[in-house]
Amino acid sequence: MTATRTAGAARVPLPRLLARTCAAEWTRLWTVRTSWWFLLAAAVVLVGLGTVAGVESAGDPAQSGGDPVWAGVTVFVMPAQFALFGLALTAVTSDHATGGIVPALQWTPRRGVLLLARAGVAVATATAAGVVLVLASALAAHTAHPDLTLPVGEGLDALGTVALVVAAGAALGAGLGFLLRSTAGALVAVFLLVLVLPLVLPQFGLAWATSVAEALPGSGAAYLLFGGELPGMSRASSVTVLLAWAAGALLLGWLRLSRSDVR
Amino acid sequence: MIAVRGLTKRYGTVLAVDDLTFDVEPGKVTGFLGPNGAGKSTTMRAVLGLDRPTAGTALVNGRPYAALDEPLREVGALLDPGAVHPGRTGRAHLRIAARTNGLPLRRVDEVVEQAGLGAAARRRIGGYSLGMRQRLGIAAALLGDPGVLLFDEPVNGLDLDGVRWIRGLLRRLADEGRTVLVSSHLLSEVEQTAERLVVVGRGRLVADTTTEELLRGLGGRRVRVRCVRPDLLAPALRRRGATVEEVGDAELQVQGLSAEDVGEVADSVRVPLHHLSDVQQSLEEAYLALTAGSVEFAGQDPVPTGADR
Repeated sequence: MTATRTAGAARVPLPRLLARTCAAEWTRLWTVRTSWWFLLAAAVVLVGLGTVAGVESAGDPAQSGGDPVWAGVTVFVMPAQFALFGLALTAVTSDHATGGIVPALQWTPRRGVLLLARAGVAVATATAAGVVLVLASALAAHTAHPDLTLPVGEGLDALGTVALVVAAGAALGAGLGFLLRSTAGALVAVFLLVLVLPLVLPQFGLAWATSVAEALPGSGAAYLLFGGELPGMSRASSVTVLLAWAAGALLLGWLRLSRSDVR
Repeated sequence: MIAVRGLTKRYGTVLAVDDLTFDVEPGKVTGFLGPNGAGKSTTMRAVLGLDRPTAGTALVNGRPYAALDEPLREVGALLDPGAVHPGRTGRAHLRIAARTNGLPLRRVDEVVEQAGLGAAARRRIGGYSLGMRQRLGIAAALLGDPGVLLFDEPVNGLDLDGVRWIRGLLRRLADEGRTVLVSSHLLSEVEQTAERLVVVGRGRLVADTTTEELLRGLGGRRVRVRCVRPDLLAPALRRRGATVEEVGDAELQVQGLSAEDVGEVADSVRVPLHHLSDVQQSLEEAYLALTAGSVEFAGQDPVPTGADR
């Protein structure tokens, strides 16, 4: 029994410590069913809508002119992203809901390392899943209607945008998870910030409400995904808004995790 | 080695731990006793870096727990056995623990075996009984083969076999030279395993002493015996120096002799016994006795470690 006991406390280089913690987080993520359900939901939405779009465009004689598929499928990220945000968010909140945070911090008492690994693995997983599923969605549309083209340059642009939007949203979800420690609370906050408020606020017709809406992450995501023109918004401003929300949420999450007792 | 110095923890207006100082030494089981709400769990949480002390320090092997890179190799702990994700299997839970501390995965199989989890390790934790969760928590605590172990109320929810197993395990761990701190609100649970007792009440240190001294301070062990001829047995027991009290029809309460001694005395006077048992002394009684400033403890410094270190 004493064979594995080591003398004294070995210092572990930070990169190795982080790598170990990431490996543990990866195992944590895929040993609960919730993660698989969220992934399945995102896959159903993206591949399903891609197939439907392909079939519809095949049946529409006005649209048979070799349109690129990308502009269509990036829009499907708008609904599908919530499943991916849910994946990242529950990777953080499930431990607080179940009390699993106590053993987690017993095993990884350096809270900064735990936060980096947990948020990092969740965001990377959600982002990779988003990119792969959008690609699958495009291929599904193309299979259903081979006239839809898959230009590589445009495709890389589209996948880059999807990666940015999903990564920023997943980081927002993870940060809110660390901050609120409740799955329901964090999900509601994400829905408000990404979907409800950006839609509702401009309806009041007030200049300030519209400005607030433009500064919300949902507006930035919509601008980038729909690729449209909106007054007062640009690609640069949208990217800035998304990244600022992601960084802000993670920072607040870090403050709560590092300063408060955990139970 | 665990060193708690002036530990104070306040939650809002509640003072959960109040200037607590004690040491837990290697090679023996130290019982951490106190009524519910005395601050035992809070102290353990502070030792493990989960709660930030309002004042004071809690060090493990001379360092704060939160500074350890591979804590499982130094400190194993079982706090709340229910604080695990119910959706994972026991094995997955332990595999994650092993990954975080760079422990070989074969250790998972070893501790599953050692904790008696067996085939249950492949089932989801949600279906575990409290006893199985205790065993899982103990398996996780043993994973890194640590020199320091903390168990918060480890016998809660265990059946008799489990309780016996835990007692044997605690003693074995201490015999191997490890530092073992085990909390309980019942003296009877730890008096057989713990050599030292740290007693707390309302967040303050009440006694830091050996188990023997504490029990003596309570007026010694008491044994209850029932037989057909108490009129024969009682004088025989008194001749052996015991204080005997009739507590019911054909029932005696004996102070100053062990149950074994009482059995031998009964045999020597050929009185068949119908019942013989140790009277369980609850910590609540001990706690009351101690805080009431009982004579036995009046001459004794209740904080022996505080003054000289």
